[in-house]
Amino acid sequence: MGPDGDGKREARRNASGEPRPANWGIAFDLGIRLGISVILGLGAGLLLDSWLRTSPLFTLIGMALGIGAAMYTIWDVARDAMRR
Amino acid sequence: MAEEEGESLIHIALGGEELFAIGPFVVTNSMIGALLASLLLLAAAWYVTRQSTLIPSRLQGLLELPVEWVAGIVAGSTSRWRGYVALVIGFFLMILVANWLGLLPGVGTIGLRHGEELVPFVRPAAADLNFTLGLAIITFVVFVWWGIRINGPGGYLKELIGEPRYMAPLMFPIHLISELSRLVSLSMRLFGNVFAGEVLIATMLALTTATLFVLPLAFFVPSIFLGLELLFGAVQAIVFALLTMTYITMAIAEHDGGHEPEHDPRDDHGEPDAHPASSPA
Repeated sequence: MGPDGDGKREARRNASGEPRPANWGIAFDLGIRLGISVILGLGAGLLLDSWLRTSPLFTLIGMALGIGAAMYTIWDVARDAMRR
Repeated sequence: MAEEEGESLIHIALGGEELFAIGPFVVTNSMIGALLASLLLLAAAWYVTRQSTLIPSRLQGLLELPVEWVAGIVAGSTSRWRGYVALVIGFFLMILVANWLGLLPGVGTIGLRHGEELVPFVRPAAADLNFTLGLAIITFVVFVWWGIRINGPGGYLKELIGEPRYMAPLMFPIHLISELSRLVSLSMRLFGNVFAGEVLIATMLALTTATLFVLPLAFFVPSIFLGLELLFGAVQAIVFALLTMTYITMAIAEHDGGHEPEHDPRDDHGEPDAHPASSPA
């Protein structure tokens, strides 16, 4: 059976309410991305502070943006899941 | 004495180790691992395409099974799936073979001795961050490219800036961090899992061969963890491939305003996909 036939079968499986295999990936991904978003924001803030000698201004801003990005990631993933 | 022997048995290096250099180009053992995985895949592809029949033989069926399975999943994602199905299948097969190659006898245990340390000839490719980061960068470039292709450069930038415009100073860095977190998450997850598996097996081997008293354990304790690594290798390969698909799907769906076609009536009549943009990129 080719991909076309398998794709239709997959779509039917989704329509019947069973979880899509792609959702496994999202579940694996979401948790780690929350942490990484905060680390990226914090890291960028620390780098800017050490470069501009403005500590702790950008560290705090970076952390807030990182937490914001983590929350946005949840919303983004949820929105995509609802679309499908 | 036992501790000293145990320590000498565990060899852990965070990055790939240099085997030789061709001018300024350094060849590491993880590069050999990636090369072997590629050669194995090429040989399998050559065999399947050379001797393929309409009614597949057992071996052909076995080799086609993972390709058809992943293709089936990707085909259910968007109407433009033909544009990225090859990439997703390629990632899945490459990571799967590279991960399983690391479980073969001799990989990580046969090599050159540099003083006290053994530098293995072959190291599992995904146990080196350079390999996983390389794959993640390809994924990142591809889903950004799909976003730009679908929305146009201006539209993609608008997505990054967000609505309303006066929120741009806040939303742009948030979007940027969120996009970059995909890159880091993809690379770190694969590297972390494979590297941790390597360390775990090395530790189990060292513990069970440390003294003569526990030596019989060396024959079956590592095999439990090798079995688990077999499973984790497959899971990580499918997770990486499916996340690549998900990110591209999200880039495409954003353009469609969240109204991805649920059902294409042409499917009922078995007509081929006629979307102009659905041809392979």
